[in-house]
Amino acid sequence: MPTSYYLILSFVLFLIGTAGVLLRRNALIVLMGIELQINGGNLALLAFSRQLNDLKGHVFAFLIIALAAAEAAVGLAILVGLFRSRQTINLDEATLMKR
Amino acid sequence: MNPVHPAAAAQASSVAPGDAILFAVMAAWVTFFAIFTITRRNPVTAVMSLVATFFGLAAIYASLSAHFLAVLQVLVYAGAIMVLFIFVVMILNREEVAPLALRPMRLLGVAGAVYLLVVVWRVVLRDGDLTGAPSVLPESFGTVASIGDILFKSFLYPFEAISLLLLVAIVGGVVVSRSHQKEAAALRAADYRKQIEHLATHDYPGEQSGKEEPSAAAGGHH
Repeated sequence: MPTSYYLILSFVLFLIGTAGVLLRRNALIVLMGIELQINGGNLALLAFSRQLNDLKGHVFAFLIIALAAAEAAVGLAILVGLFRSRQTINLDEATLMKR
Repeated sequence: MNPVHPAAAAQASSVAPGDAILFAVMAAWVTFFAIFTITRRNPVTAVMSLVATFFGLAAIYASLSAHFLAVLQVLVYAGAIMVLFIFVVMILNREEVAPLALRPMRLLGVAGAVYLLVVVWRVVLRDGDLTGAPSVLPESFGTVASIGDILFKSFLYPFEAISLLLLVAIVGGVVVSRSHQKEAAALRAADYRKQIEHLATHDYPGEQSGKEEPSAAAGGHH
């Protein structure tokens, strides 16, 4: 398949993730939206890697997967901490640093 | 797909039909489950459809001859990260009152992202390099051996940096999510000890009915 289709699919994935991040109140779903965005970026990297016959894209995708694992661990830990202190994971109620 | 350029349409039609059907099925699978993920009310359903999305993505990676990354996607995402998500969902499972935050600014952000999609779509499909057949790849492209070769020769320092990042993430996760119950228990114990000392230096309540001290009576609950 030509690279353009993979690029469009990756952008659609990124768009769906963005919609999830912006439009949902549940912090868990927002984290899942961030994961979708990261995967959209990874797909674009791999598509260009094949297009240019260059393995650097694969190395970056590898590093990004490790980064996403760290991000998920810290993000979920923050959610648990938020739930312990405020009894909620609704992002609209997490306003401690707003005032 | 919706090509905007006749040349792009001509080149796209040169794709083998088997490949096109396979890609269409995988793309539809991934898109469907991604939308399913962000629209579900129940977080467990959302996590499960996210796992389905990642499996579909692994298949797409394999079709890009990124075999090592496809395996890694299943191992790390569908394995490790999803288990983490499931655990936290089970800890924090709460009913949502209003799941969607449809505020004008956020809707504007989504609208801007959709506009960007349209722009990228047009640009990508007009580019002859990208719509043409991809370059012929060597046999070892995307295998564990070739990626290990470049990773441990050219990208050794980023590789070590990512291990440091994972270490920091572990420590940060433990520190941020640790329970404050021990501190609270220590405070309660100090309070309790103070009351005992107070009782020991004063008269016992109820021994001499009639002249009970109010503070001792308050401490007598414990």
